[in-house]
Amino acid sequence: MNILSTLLPFASCCVSFVFAFLVFRRYLARRGPHLLLWGIGMTMYGIGGFCEAYYGAFGWNPLVFRLWYLFGAMLVAAWLGQGTVYLLAKRKWADILMIVLGLASVYGAFRVFGAQLDPAMMGSSLHTGSELSGRAITSGGVRSLTPFFNLYGTITLVGGAAYSVWIFWRKRILLHRVIGNILIAVGALLPAFGGAFSRFGISGALYITELLGAILIFAGFIRATTPMGATSATAPGAATPTGAPKQ
Amino acid sequence: MTDNDQRHATERKYPELYEKLVPVALGVILVAIVVVLIIAAAIALGLFSGK
Repeated sequence: MNILSTLLPFASCCVSFVFAFLVFRRYLARRGPHLLLWGIGMTMYGIGGFCEAYYGAFGWNPLVFRLWYLFGAMLVAAWLGQGTVYLLAKRKWADILMIVLGLASVYGAFRVFGAQLDPAMMGSSLHTGSELSGRAITSGGVRSLTPFFNLYGTITLVGGAAYSVWIFWRKRILLHRVIGNILIAVGALLPAFGGAFSRFGISGALYITELLGAILIFAGFIRATTPMGATSATAPGAATPTGAPKQ
Repeated sequence: MTDNDQRHATERKYPELYEKLVPVALGVILVAIVVVLIIAAAIALGLFSGK
């Protein structure tokens, strides 16, 4: 068992599930589809972390690999980003994009769970702890779906957070949401860079960036939903929890 | 932004540290987004082995 590749993703898993619990609790108290989607997204983040920890400890088995690929590699960013879409876009457009994402996710799940896996890569002794990839999927047209989900997730989650920062900063209001959204944007970007570093052979980069990403997104959410009192002016029209007011 | 917002924005200020840090952070985030999109495009084109 590789300690680094087991404990780091397990820590990411724990942070993500605690965060998801808090977001779901907030959703039950306040409602709002963005909270529900962020809760679902962080649950996916946690499932991905758990599967990586399992991989670090025992190697892949087909079920854990498919769960990791579906939730940890394919869907997590897009579902978190969809929460931001509900904050920033008109409800009608958010609903349309939600339907598209929902159908695409069902299709993705169908393809991932129906895909052929390379049995040679499912052995319990085959894990380096340094590289996670979908190469074990031998069926065509499955891995090519993933960049589309991640592109959508990056644009909506990181772009949405950056857009909120810009709106608040321009008006010099709600400093806590500016700081919170910066943390969320950086936290969401880190795993993307970690994945790239991992491809370039930097061992363990993905695990570290995933953990830091979960912590920063968590901290950003807490910061964005906790006013700073005297240090930030308040605006009567800015009623959304973490995003910019709808234009 | 309305004229009213514009006027209030010039009157309001964040603490000095944040006045300097926020635009820098925003710029870094935007550059990072572009880099990630370039990497994603490279993966889609098969230049790297993607997930």
